[in-house]
Amino acid sequence: MSATLERPSPTLAGPRTVAPGKDSRRLIRSQLRAGWVLIAPALLHSGIFIVIPVVFAIALSFTDYSFGDSWAWVGFQNYSDLFNDADFRAALWNTILYAVVVIPISMAISLFIALGLNQKIRGLAFFRTAFYIPTVTATVAVATIWLWIYNPGSGLANGFLSLFGFAPNSWLSDPGTALPSLMVVGIWQGLGTKIIIYLAALQGVSRDLLESASLDGAGRWQKFANVTWPALGPVQFFVLITSIVGTFQVFDLVYVMTKGGPGTETTVLVLDIYQNAFQALRLGYASAETVIMMILIAVFIGLGRLLQRADVND
Amino acid sequence: MRRSAGLAVLVAAVGLVASACGNGVIDKSTDGVPPAEATGTLRVLLPSFPASNDGRKEFAKVVADFSKKYPKMKVEPDFATYNNLNEKISTSIAAGIPYDVMVTGVGWVQPFAAKRIFADLGDFGVTPDVIKSKSVGALIPAVSYQDRIYAYPLLADARAVALRISAFKEAGLDPNDPPTSLAEIKVAAEKLTKRDKDGNITRSGFDLAGATSFRQPFVTFLASTGTPLYINQEPNFNNEKGLETLNWIKSMINNVQKYGQQNAAQQPLVYSGEAAMGIVGGAIDCSEKGLGQATCDDLKFFRFNSGKEIEYVGGDLASIGSRSRHKEAGFAFIESLTQPATLDAMAKLNKKLPAYKDAANSPQAKSNPLSKFVAEGLPFAVNENSPPSNWLEMRFNFDSQLTQAVLGQKDPAKVLANLAGQSR
Repeated sequence: MSATLERPSPTLAGPRTVAPGKDSRRLIRSQLRAGWVLIAPALLHSGIFIVIPVVFAIALSFTDYSFGDSWAWVGFQNYSDLFNDADFRAALWNTILYAVVVIPISMAISLFIALGLNQKIRGLAFFRTAFYIPTVTATVAVATIWLWIYNPGSGLANGFLSLFGFAPNSWLSDPGTALPSLMVVGIWQGLGTKIIIYLAALQGVSRDLLESASLDGAGRWQKFANVTWPALGPVQFFVLITSIVGTFQVFDLVYVMTKGGPGTETTVLVLDIYQNAFQALRLGYASAETVIMMILIAVFIGLGRLLQRADVND
Repeated sequence: MRRSAGLAVLVAAVGLVASACGNGVIDKSTDGVPPAEATGTLRVLLPSFPASNDGRKEFAKVVADFSKKYPKMKVEPDFATYNNLNEKISTSIAAGIPYDVMVTGVGWVQPFAAKRIFADLGDFGVTPDVIKSKSVGALIPAVSYQDRIYAYPLLADARAVALRISAFKEAGLDPNDPPTSLAEIKVAAEKLTKRDKDGNITRSGFDLAGATSFRQPFVTFLASTGTPLYINQEPNFNNEKGLETLNWIKSMINNVQKYGQQNAAQQPLVYSGEAAMGIVGGAIDCSEKGLGQATCDDLKFFRFNSGKEIEYVGGDLASIGSRSRHKEAGFAFIESLTQPATLDAMAKLNKKLPAYKDAANSPQAKSNPLSKFVAEGLPFAVNENSPPSNWLEMRFNFDSQLTQAVLGQKDPAKVLANLAGQSR
């Protein structure tokens, strides 16, 4: 039998043992101190920039604060108003729709491209760079380019489709195509990061297992389904979580391209929060919206975890 | 011992950072201090000086005039735009460093006065009578809240309607007898609209100048029926006239103008010939660098009249921050802004009219035919009139809900009822 299947001896691989007594307690204390010192900057940063703002946002969500001189506690009024607010409902629906469409499609396309880039093909470095460029380009610049692509008069999209006899379309001002048009940009822009992560994970898939599967007569699909896919599990989860957070926080793309229009067809949660807070000056109301968005992201991440567990159990 | 020493170092570090962040931001109050001895920084927020060399040069003249009275005070300008004005104001308040002087537009005064962000200019002797005698009386409702004045008009942003004479003649219409009522405009616009063989609009019959927002066009068209949007902050649009107006806009979009149509320069489409008739701004450049004399000669201006002759007039309105520690200096700065020569320069830079009493005889009004026309039309001025204190919120509601009604996604009557219910 192979030696790798044998449980390693605890005396060889286990933690260093120290005889109980004063020295060991001092060592543990010193390790604890070192641990606290090392995480102190991160804790301080999280405390100031995450915990305090979150606590403030939650507190503000129960007030009618609007940058004026006076404010009052309003209990759950903002929350009940939100669910009667058609703009908020539209923003909520659009955000969920955007996430539900963009996340799986972008993950699938990214994985597909990463599988291609994991082969020994010519111009690999060029393709890897090309796919990553949208990620490192400022969203405002990306959005401006896509505004031109979607321009109803002189845009590339209509120009290309006209070759096949399609009539020109007002992509961003037509209620039926505005949100899907933004989804296309969102999918395209998010590919780079996902591809890089998948590529790194693919390169970590055990060659031995792949070779063993080949020797056992497995085809490409069987190798992918039984070796590669299970090995990508933790990475899939990471990509899913970051994608959920990213898509729920989409703002700059929408702000530059449509400002939420036509009507509320492309209004998303962060845009609505921004408009309520800084343009309509309803900070308490916008804070309630923020809290709901946080809960929603948590729910989606929870669902992602459940899916992940189900996948592992399968 | 070590633990407490570490804690002390941490507290000291946090204190140092906190004090560094806050150090030097808050000035001592200069109110009551003789102007020659007052020191500090006057923070001014202005969308009235464009980010050009000419804009900066004119602003420097204002500062020079102000410095004659307040020689030791520094002026810190923030040249905002109307698109980011609220963000600038709200973040300055949140940061605890509100502006001393803020220039805003029609619709801003009531919400900010209600939130006590703007100071009552009555303390500086500004009354409706003062504005009536020195400025544009039609802007009094726009600068008033609960019978007090919270802003002083600097510029009047007037809009007219223009037609292309050649297009009218081509369509068999008389350019000397322009359509002025909503019904007449629709009939003429349909005749003036050009389409390709597939039925796509190639030249709009009427440019509503709304592109994707119908708020200001709605206010304008509604006012032309003799119906102001708000009266004493109460909604006045959830009625037969309001519904007729909204249905009229709905009947125009994708009939005489495609929804969302605007050109790259975001200029009125009638100037470029992309529309035969439409709403235009308050000034036109007939030089060869601008539209050219031939285009200017082909334009004729008129006003809406569906029962009441009107001209939409917005404006640049100067206010003092209620939390300012330099209110007197702020008012002195507004006085510098309102020097006739300064207003003339600002009007030219912004293609608007100076908001002084005799604007019809201003250099701007004499410089081009459109400014002359809108200056003569100031007695017909209308705007949102006296919007409610939640107008900043209502602007968005109007933008999105009117669009939904125009695009057929919501019932116009329900939209108007909803908007009236949301106004408070």
